[in-house]
Amino acid sequence: MIRVEGLTKVFQDKKRGAVRALDQVSFEVKPGEIVGILGPNGAGKTTALRLLATVLKPTQGTAVVAGYDIVREPEMVRSRIGFLSGDMGLYGRLTPREILAFFGRLSGMEPAALKRRSDEVVSMLGMAAYADTRTDKLSTGMRQRAAIGRTIVHDPPVLILDEPSYGLDVPTARLIENFILEARRGGKCILFSTHVMEEAEYLCDRIVVIHEGKVRITGTMEDLRAATGKTRLREIFLDLLNIREEPMEAKA
Amino acid sequence: MKPAVVFTVYRKELLEMTRDRRTLISMVLVPIIAIPALLGVATFFVSSSQKQAEQEALHIAVARQSAMPGLERALSAAGFKLTPSADPRGAVERKQVAAAAVEGQSDKGEPVVRLYVDASRPGSLVAANKIRAALDGLKAAAIREALAGSGVPEKVLTPFGVEQVDVAPKGKMAKSLIGGMIGYMVILLMFSGCMYPAIDMTAGEKERRTLEILLCSPAGRNEIVLGKILAATTAAFLTALLNVLSLTWAFQSGMMGPEMHKLLEGVHINASAVLLVLVAVFPTAVTAAAVMITISLFAKSFKEGQSYLTPLILLVVFPAMIGMMPGVEAGPKLALLPVFNVTQLIKSIFTGDYTLSSFLLPFASNLAYAAVAFVVAVRIFKREDVLFRS
Ligand SMILES: Nc1ncnc2c1ncn2[C@@H]1O[C@H](COP(=O)(O)OP(=O)(O)OP(=O)(O)O)[C@@H](O)[C@H]1O
Ligand SMILES: [Mg+2]
Repeated sequence: MIRVEGLTKVFQDKKRGAVRALDQVSFEVKPGEIVGILGPNGAGKTTALRLLATVLKPTQGTAVVAGYDIVREPEMVRSRIGFLSGDMGLYGRLTPREILAFFGRLSGMEPAALKRRSDEVVSMLGMAAYADTRTDKLSTGMRQRAAIGRTIVHDPPVLILDEPSYGLDVPTARLIENFILEARRGGKCILFSTHVMEEAEYLCDRIVVIHEGKVRITGTMEDLRAATGKTRLREIFLDLLNIREEPMEAKA
Repeated sequence: MKPAVVFTVYRKELLEMTRDRRTLISMVLVPIIAIPALLGVATFFVSSSQKQAEQEALHIAVARQSAMPGLERALSAAGFKLTPSADPRGAVERKQVAAAAVEGQSDKGEPVVRLYVDASRPGSLVAANKIRAALDGLKAAAIREALAGSGVPEKVLTPFGVEQVDVAPKGKMAKSLIGGMIGYMVILLMFSGCMYPAIDMTAGEKERRTLEILLCSPAGRNEIVLGKILAATTAAFLTALLNVLSLTWAFQSGMMGPEMHKLLEGVHINASAVLLVLVAVFPTAVTAAAVMITISLFAKSFKEGQSYLTPLILLVVFPAMIGMMPGVEAGPKLALLPVFNVTQLIKSIFTGDYTLSSFLLPFASNLAYAAVAFVVAVRIFKREDVLFRS
């Protein structure tokens, strides 16, 4: 469903010059699979997801998403993905229903089908009580549901989520986790980035760790454990970044 | 390019605009009240300063002891309130009275009435004119009395009369000034009416993190930017439309006093002038929208966008203000100067001083500017280093 091949992105930054945000990244996500991208700040996670969503153009390499090449057929790719990021990106002056209608129309849905789908999404996510209230008047949890609804209104086979639970409390983050699991049950292909190790451990079928734009390792939790000799993802992660937590007394 | 997608983006932008208080104020409220308010203040000022001058002109000073018989009586009869003064000249200088009339002697020893006037004060000039008229009457009475019984007919005193006819077109200066002011207002308000929506749908969307989501949707960049430019153009045009309609209302309702109406003689605000003005401003509305969208796309937040566009508004104010100066007429070269040319055009339409070629030259050049601004906006919108400036 997603096949990334040698994806490279170089930004021309005014102050820093050429920034190699992604360097020859390759990995794969199959249908019905959840893959998590882990990496420290600035590792290139957001850049990778933006390239897959075709809002940025790769410097080198390419990827195939839902059967379409991100460089040659970006519009086809975009109509088959749902993109969600932690800041939700909701239009504050519009209501959840208006947002669903807007994105549904952009996807070329017919008015009748869109109406049906939008009602379905509203009831599925329990948004009926506030579907006609401006989203800037809603609580974070309500807004999160609206954002999920917006992501799936056109029923995309691929979900690309950039730190979807960023800044959420436990119950609201749970909402996202359940949404991801539910999507997998529906056979969707899910790629998401996170800084929350527990979340990755709990949700992911496979994990991609990137650091300084390069893939450090790809595999299941078992693969990662075997490669590093550590059990918990936290330790594995730090090990892969070559950051060792020295015991206090060892320093003296 | 899918027109339906462009329209969807356009509709969403309009919906957002109508729910933003800042936009509603600059796009609807200000253009509706600005011109009536301006005219109202001008009316008040014109009629009150006129009244004040007339009121002031009633008070004049005369000498403590008057040697000329009938002078004080004649002045009182003319409606003046007389203040006897030891220093009539000083009273005028100190603005205690509008003017002073003092009898004395000329260099040749003949009797004269000396008028002390402060030409910088309208009230003083009004008083002087009235005093002169009263003195003329007094003079005529004196002559009449001297001739009585002499057998000379009174008619010899006035062998002919004098009539003065003003050939200057009625209120040319005032008309040109008012026409220019309207042109200036319409264009300035059009730019400021377009400013908030333009920033909101670019830098604002970046700041609220919705732009990225929009770019991830199946809508193409061309379609998105087109919808946005159309929406900003609508904002600019709507501002101008409301502005011109409220102007029409102000002219046709009785809100302006008779003095103002006299000043505005020769300014034609009728249906065909309004229509022509709307056609004339259209290319500038597109240009304003495209330029503002282009510039504010570089900003990362609404505030930053505002600080980018404020200098642009100043850049618009200057040529528009020059266009307001009475006597400034657009030659063929100036007709190519954007903003300036359209303020001139609006002025000439409202004053009825336009020809087909004086309309077409600025109109065509503004269409060309609009096309260029449009193309630039579309190209900038495709640059990822602008959309994702770090
Ligand atoms: N538009 C841009 N212009 C220049 N450099 C950029 C741009 N976007 C990202 N970068 C740089 O590319 C590198 C990767 O950034 P990216 O945002 O992909 O990291 P990330 O893994 O998502 O980090 P975080 O965990 O903080 O979200 C960073 O060094 C970043 O500064
Ligand atoms: Mg990131």
